[in-house]
Amino acid sequence: MFKAIYMIIAVGVLLAYGTAAWFGWEFANAGSNSRLGMPFIYNGFRGGK
Amino acid sequence: MTTLKAQCPSCAAPIEFKAGSSIVIICPYCRSAVARTDRGLEDLGKVAEIMDSESPLRIGLKGTWNNTRFELTGRAQLKHELGGYWDEWYATFSNGWVGWLAEAQGRFYLTFFQPLPKGTTLPSLGDLQLGQTIDQIPSQTPLMVQEKGTATYVAAAGEIPYKLTPNETVSYADLAGKNNSFATIDYSMDPPWVFLGSQVTLAEIGLGDAKPVQREARTVTSDVMRCPNCGGPLALSAPDKTERVTCPNCNSLLDVNQGNLSYFKTLNPPPSQPDFVAPIGAEGTFPDGNKYKIIGAMVRSVTIEGIAYYWHEYLLYNPSVGFRWLVHSDNHWNFVETVNPADVSNPQFYGAGAKVVYGGKTFKIFQDAQAVVEYVKGEFYWRVEQGETVRAVDYVSPPQMLSLEMTQNEMNWSLGTYMTNDQIEKIFGVKDLPRPWGIAPNQPFTGSFYYTWGFLPVLALLALAIIMIPLSGLTRTVLNQQIQMPPLQNETTPQAVFSQPFEIRGNSNIRISASAPVSNSWADLDVDLVNEQSQEVESVNVPIEYYSGVEDGESWSEGGQDQDATLSSLPAGKYSLKVEGTWQNWQQPMPVSVKVEQNVNRGVNFCCAFVVLLIVPILGLFRKWSFESTRWKDSSFGSSSSSGSDDSDDSDDSYSSDDD
Repeated sequence: MFKAIYMIIAVGVLLAYGTAAWFGWEFANAGSNSRLGMPFIYNGFRGGK
Repeated sequence: MTTLKAQCPSCAAPIEFKAGSSIVIICPYCRSAVARTDRGLEDLGKVAEIMDSESPLRIGLKGTWNNTRFELTGRAQLKHELGGYWDEWYATFSNGWVGWLAEAQGRFYLTFFQPLPKGTTLPSLGDLQLGQTIDQIPSQTPLMVQEKGTATYVAAAGEIPYKLTPNETVSYADLAGKNNSFATIDYSMDPPWVFLGSQVTLAEIGLGDAKPVQREARTVTSDVMRCPNCGGPLALSAPDKTERVTCPNCNSLLDVNQGNLSYFKTLNPPPSQPDFVAPIGAEGTFPDGNKYKIIGAMVRSVTIEGIAYYWHEYLLYNPSVGFRWLVHSDNHWNFVETVNPADVSNPQFYGAGAKVVYGGKTFKIFQDAQAVVEYVKGEFYWRVEQGETVRAVDYVSPPQMLSLEMTQNEMNWSLGTYMTNDQIEKIFGVKDLPRPWGIAPNQPFTGSFYYTWGFLPVLALLALAIIMIPLSGLTRTVLNQQIQMPPLQNETTPQAVFSQPFEIRGNSNIRISASAPVSNSWADLDVDLVNEQSQEVESVNVPIEYYSGVEDGESWSEGGQDQDATLSSLPAGKYSLKVEGTWQNWQQPMPVSVKVEQNVNRGVNFCCAFVVLLIVPILGLFRKWSFESTRWKDSSFGSSSSSGSDDSDDSDDSYSSDDD
């Protein structure tokens, strides 16, 4: 059972990755109106102020 | 010698030597062994009647071996010095050969007299070592000493191709080689005679249709036999094989001698009342396709570092295939059958790291201890008794375990195959067997899917990433402009400057980079991407700060003069940048360099997917490590043997019951 669930999730992750790569979606982005709405990883430097 | 009709010198009944090779005939009337000699017939004495047997063979059966026909013309029964009987059938071939067909515990060995080259001297019986290879015997494969002992001729029938003396005791050594090679050295002759051949199946010798005698289990009634101690009746499932039986009424251990019971001893109470899960008499069909009946059960133990560990063993019996064992330890189960010792690579030593190879698989040593019989119940084909001790060395390669049991005169290898509770419940038609605890020495790990096939999605992700790079194209710069930000009116009121317009393509991510010549100061930029058609705005914050200095003679720096931010794709169209910011030296202008790129190979998506897909395989590997650690924790050789332990095979679905 877990094998099937894991494989379904894995295929889902692969589909999500492929779709994001095709449409130019960034899972972690800095945009204020992010299409995915989760700029939880920001690659810019913060702090200092 | 030729066919001879004569009268029995003992009872004058007519007897006939049909086979030219026959030396002795057993008178069917008075059971005298009558030998024909140059001087006439000689009465060698009376032999006992052949013990009732479930053997599929009988005198008169005809078979074929190597395209040569033969007929079974005689039979002798021998009694092992430690109890137990076996049969020797004599096969008279149409070309004059005489073959010895030994039948023991459901196995058959066909051998022929093998003259040794002139000048060959065999080691004496006393010099033979178990496991020693006897190179003097001309055989295609090396022959290894498996057993040495003595046996007594107790019964015979038909025609015998040698001078069989009733109740004569002979010394012998059995040897085994690869590919079922087999040999016996008969030390009753001087010099010893060698009989060379192989283990055969009845089908291989043209006797595949021979069926065992079917009969009901014999119940010894009070009129015939009863327990010599309490008088209670006994039922024997293998009366022709049984050497010891326990009385279920008085807990006595009884000797069985050709159907006669005699009191041997009263069993000592076991350390704890044995709770045999499987009852004696239970029947079931095992993975080898044969139906076995439990005829005996015993409690055995090993003591390691002062702690006694107990387990149960059930003796299984099928008249056609002989005996097998079902071992029940910590509620784990193993189906055990003996294997040809010659098929096991001879262990060079028995210490940590020792390995043997059988059937192409490498088995690692797990335990080396003295195994003691603590308690017995039911029937046994040898003279079992409490306290019987053998050296037991276990080697594991899940789901199998090779066990070597050694006494002074005998070594036996057996192969155990792990069975799940579900399988045992199905075999015996029972439910709710107690669940196993701990990890059995040869218990297969059932979760290898997650760190073998489980890595497949990770590989697929790598392949997908490689494919997507050329599909999405290379990074493309759509704006690269130097913007001069005028001095601020005050510290907190930002200044805004627009860039020149530029084209953005759809379905491509966007990276906005900004660079400012800050030094030990900061600039905080808010950059808006403004769609000139729809006026929609996407904003990012790009803070820039850079600090450096020298402390204790060492230079340091923090931050940088360049920063960037990445966006998901936006609708295609014409855009401009609105750069708005504040900076530490607000009274001075701030030159800012901005760059907008698309199709950036950023890697965050890949890393996120990679981490997510790795979770399960990594957990699977950890689970495997934990499983093996627990397994080898119980081994005397755990620390050295567990390293690099084999990946347990769970490809067999029969072990996949707990894979989830």
